[in-house]
Amino acid sequence: MAKKVTVVISQGQSANPVKRKLEEDLVAALLFERGVEVTVIPHLYDLAPEGTGMLCLQSIAGDVVVLSWLYPRAARWTLDRNGIRGRVGKVLLESEAADEDEEDEAADDGDKPRVADSLPAPNRTIYCIDLRARNEVEPFVEEIRRIWAEASMQTVGIDLLGWIQGAPKPEQLGRYLNPGPANVDAPPANAQPAASGPVLFSPFTLQPIEPASGDKQLNGAAPKGSQPNGSAPASSEPADGAPAGPVRVEEATGRRWYPVIDYSRCTNCLECLDFCLFGVYGVGGSETILVEQPDNCRKGCPACSRVCPENAIIFPQHKTPAIAGSPEGSAGALKIDLSKLFGAPDAMEVAVLERDVELVAVGRDAVGATVGIPKRQSQKDHGPKDELDSLMDQLDSLDL
Amino acid sequence: MTIRNADEKPGREELVFMMGQFAAKFPVDRCYAKNHMWAQSAGEGKPFRFGFSAYAVRLLQDVYFLEWTVDAGAMLREKQAIGAIESSKAESELYAPMAGRLVEFNENLLSDPAGINVDPYGEGWLFAMEGAGESLLSPEEYLVHLAASWAVAERTIKGQINEG
Repeated sequence: MAKKVTVVISQGQSANPVKRKLEEDLVAALLFERGVEVTVIPHLYDLAPEGTGMLCLQSIAGDVVVLSWLYPRAARWTLDRNGIRGRVGKVLLESEAADEDEEDEAADDGDKPRVADSLPAPNRTIYCIDLRARNEVEPFVEEIRRIWAEASMQTVGIDLLGWIQGAPKPEQLGRYLNPGPANVDAPPANAQPAASGPVLFSPFTLQPIEPASGDKQLNGAAPKGSQPNGSAPASSEPADGAPAGPVRVEEATGRRWYPVIDYSRCTNCLECLDFCLFGVYGVGGSETILVEQPDNCRKGCPACSRVCPENAIIFPQHKTPAIAGSPEGSAGALKIDLSKLFGAPDAMEVAVLERDVELVAVGRDAVGATVGIPKRQSQKDHGPKDELDSLMDQLDSLDL
Repeated sequence: MTIRNADEKPGREELVFMMGQFAAKFPVDRCYAKNHMWAQSAGEGKPFRFGFSAYAVRLLQDVYFLEWTVDAGAMLREKQAIGAIESSKAESELYAPMAGRLVEFNENLLSDPAGINVDPYGEGWLFAMEGAGESLLSPEEYLVHLAASWAVAERTIKGQINEG
């Protein structure tokens, strides 16, 4: 009983031929993979909140593998912001430079409550893979096979345990007695011979539309919002075993720039809310910080992320890996960063300057360090300082 | 840590700072910036040429890669980010040592940054800047600065090595 895993390929922003080739080679390679459905979307970060791409992603049920030109953290929390949530799947394929174990999420700092602690993850797993991890297709395909096997095992395991313990749920019984199209584990019984060409979405509905001539008949078009078998609405699995075409989401995207909050780090201290003077941040229903008006953000300005005491704010397109959501300690973890010794200004100084530049650019007055500067200095002294704190204090006081 | 006049080479006076076992030497014919660059002007009002001090080169060791993110002619604030460097042992962003106008970069280093290691006080110069340079230190002041910051530098390096 093959479980289905949806593989989402998020295209690069530019038409860089090298990137496009990897993307398309992957699509082609995955067409022949058992239990894998492929969806191709424009660059994940650029998708409009209510656009076709996001709606399509939201309609995917079950386990998902997202391959994008983003750090996995950036991809994960971009999805999260759009309501596409799940457990974090452990990805073994990482960029070769970052191979060392970096269990950053679970490691240290167990003391502070994180926003994510109060948000239970839905019962599905999302695996985010950085397309920059390798230059060839094979390692990605292998990793997807591994994930598929892992995902299939989980389902069987849970189902069987229920059975063995004599407590089959009604759906389980039903599934056993009446295997059919409504069954997650079984391929749709009513699947019609389908085209192997791409399935296109029209811009404003989620219904697959007839592709350009040359492609053959499409699989039954699932009505909007219905995904009975836990896959993308336009699953086009053919009965004859020929590969199904990928779902291609066409959405005209422009380049966007906005912060993405990593809630596994965020402590809801609200310093970003105080610091940003462009109204990007807001507070949601449960008094939780959220990126309320992403498009108020000033292109290129990462100032709030420098102010965040937990490094929870990601700007996926920033050139500094730590701001773009690199895993902690990676990106040259083997090398010593001497920036502080070589005169790097304080992150807060940089943030204030960056904010002033943006304020002046829109005709407002520069405010320097007079507005929205964290009260954290005054509060920080609670609790004993650890060694790093003292070291940083010394560095600061030295005016290197 | 020792500060002494190196008397082996009478022609070229220099101060010495002991980085552990390593003797870092600093010619006294120039000024220094707190970010471990030397600065030398050909005369009153002329641009300063900047390069890495022996202290910086010792921390970096073999330089593999040097990149500038501003163009010649740019007006710079002190501490403005201007580029990045990567070596066998370390990496760092680079920052303007003073406020002023960047006049030119040492083009030779862009094809092969190893010049920084070969001749840090001469052919391995990094760039030239126009500016008042009032924040620059005399060699003696720079050594006092080094002495004051060495313990922390040592701990920064060791701390990061231990973490890694």
